Amino acid sequence: MDVDGGRELTVGVGAGGLATSDMVLNIGPQHPATHGVLRLRLVLDGERIVSVDPVVGYMHRGAEKLFEVRDYRQIIVLANRHDWLSAFANELGVVLAVEQLLGTEVPERAVWARTLLAELNRVLSHLMFLGSYPLELGALTPVFYAFREREELQSVLEEVSGGRMHYMFNRVGGLKEDLPAGWTARVQAAIAPVRRRMPELESLLLGNEILRARTVGVGVLPRETAAQFGVSGPIARASGLDLDLRRDEPYLAYGELFAPGGPGRVVVRTAGDCYARLDALLEQVHVSLDLAEYCVDRLRSLPPGPVNVRLPKVLKVPAGHVYRWTENPLGLNGYYLVSRGDKVPWRLKLRSASFNNVQVLSRMLPGCLLADMVSILGSMFFVVGDVDK
Amino acid sequence: MLRGLVTTAKVMLRPAHTAEYPDVRPVLPPRSRGVIALVQENCTVCMLCARECPDWCIYIEAHKETLPPTTEGGRARQRNVLDRFAIDFSLCMYCGICVEVCPFDALHWSPEFEYAEFDLHDLLHEKERLGQWMPTVLPPQPPDPAAPEPKEIAQAAKAAARAARTATATAGRAATTGRAAGSRKAADAGRAAEAGKADAAGGTPGRRELPE
Repeated sequence: MDVDGGRELTVGVGAGGLATSDMVLNIGPQHPATHGVLRLRLVLDGERIVSVDPVVGYMHRGAEKLFEVRDYRQIIVLANRHDWLSAFANELGVVLAVEQLLGTEVPERAVWARTLLAELNRVLSHLMFLGSYPLELGALTPVFYAFREREELQSVLEEVSGGRMHYMFNRVGGLKEDLPAGWTARVQAAIAPVRRRMPELESLLLGNEILRARTVGVGVLPRETAAQFGVSGPIARASGLDLDLRRDEPYLAYGELFAPGGPGRVVVRTAGDCYARLDALLEQVHVSLDLAEYCVDRLRSLPPGPVNVRLPKVLKVPAGHVYRWTENPLGLNGYYLVSRGDKVPWRLKLRSASFNNVQVLSRMLPGCLLADMVSILGSMFFVVGDVDK
Repeated sequence: MLRGLVTTAKVMLRPAHTAEYPDVRPVLPPRSRGVIALVQENCTVCMLCARECPDWCIYIEAHKETLPPTTEGGRARQRNVLDRFAIDFSLCMYCGICVEVCPFDALHWSPEFEYAEFDLHDLLHEKERLGQWMPTVLPPQPPDPAAPEPKEIAQAAKAAARAARTATATAGRAATTGRAAGSRKAADAGRAAEAGKADAAGGTPGRRELPE
């Protein structure tokens, strides 16, 4: 790990001449910087981190095993809970996998509505981290700005789905029920102020000298390491790993959105430090708002039609297996569904983004200062529920 | 520094964005999943909700009752009588599957949310408590103009047409009594049609009538 000279020097003064033994420091499982119950076992040489061992599993709920005794509607309940900030995207992976095995054709209005909701959900998740990350660095103000925008979007999501976090709005074959009259107009009315006020939040973050001092050049994640550890999402893209399933393996309506001339673009940064990750996240909010606006326009111009298909009373999925991955706000989220023709899956493997994103900490943190640990940990944008499943 | 002061001044003049919650209650949409309300009379003890619940937090107890035959020489009928219907909100995951599967619109979502308790056991709402939520249930919003016609409207139209046919047939055959009965049926069907129009996907409480 390359660390700039100034930092090296300050440490050298204290610990240079003394013979020190390594110290083991446990961060968590209950620690405000870990957003939940992640435990990091650090070995410290003075102020410097020698090795890191992320200890996961404190919030393990056995989600995969629980999936096996629940039918496909009940699975959605559980599936939207492992990463509680991107519930809609989690539901989406399950229903897409089931629909692929069933060979269901989803009505066009449902496809566009799903895309719209997925993008709004992405904005919500990103805003959460844009608020909480500065909070960990000691900046209190951005979280209020971020949550004000979240509230605007959450209210339209609540109106359509009834939930503010766990939407439960996806069903196999489409959506639970149709959109309320005038909802699309209210979505537009919610997106506009969020878009207008984003520069305020941006100037608080990117322009902030203290924040820059704590993030620029800190916690550099090289592209190769990111690829080796299966890091994905905005974190990987901030390291120059140009992978976005919305463009590379389009699902829903992303084929059209990311087509040449479409509003979609993939945000890539090359620095790979904490600042780049934050910057990538901010830029992705803009992209997602663009996509959401485009989806609303398309949704309004679509011919009348249903948003779901008629399903049998007891939904049995034909025997077979399928792997569907989607671009969740935090990275690749995949479901490997094995069905033996029952109304419950035989196995539903979950590949969650945060699990891989957290593992790479064991490579990133050694060599860093303890004080930088919080800023690196916060910039990895993970949800502990998504790590432990 | 000056710019910062300008921002402060601007923000000071702006009305507060915060909601004064306990004094000003939030306006929640009808689909909001706050608490589940029960219309006891609509429940047939079919157990669908209890079975479909992902964490089995609905408790239903019932017994069978035998009704005497309504006509001379008729058959005695059995029907289920609901003894206990309870939802344990300390377990409930607020997924809404029970409301979705209920075939007789006995369960409804209410946006009411102020029922926190000091003791976990008090979150077990028995049927009386669940029934009390019913007045807080909001009528559903009309669906998007691009949405297909809800099937309730087609059903109601069909019922209205059938009732009209019966009415003309009875009117042709007999005198006043038949006509009165027929017109009442037609009126019922018309009400159902209106209810169907107002109701997109959820249900209208009390559509099913109990045998008295």
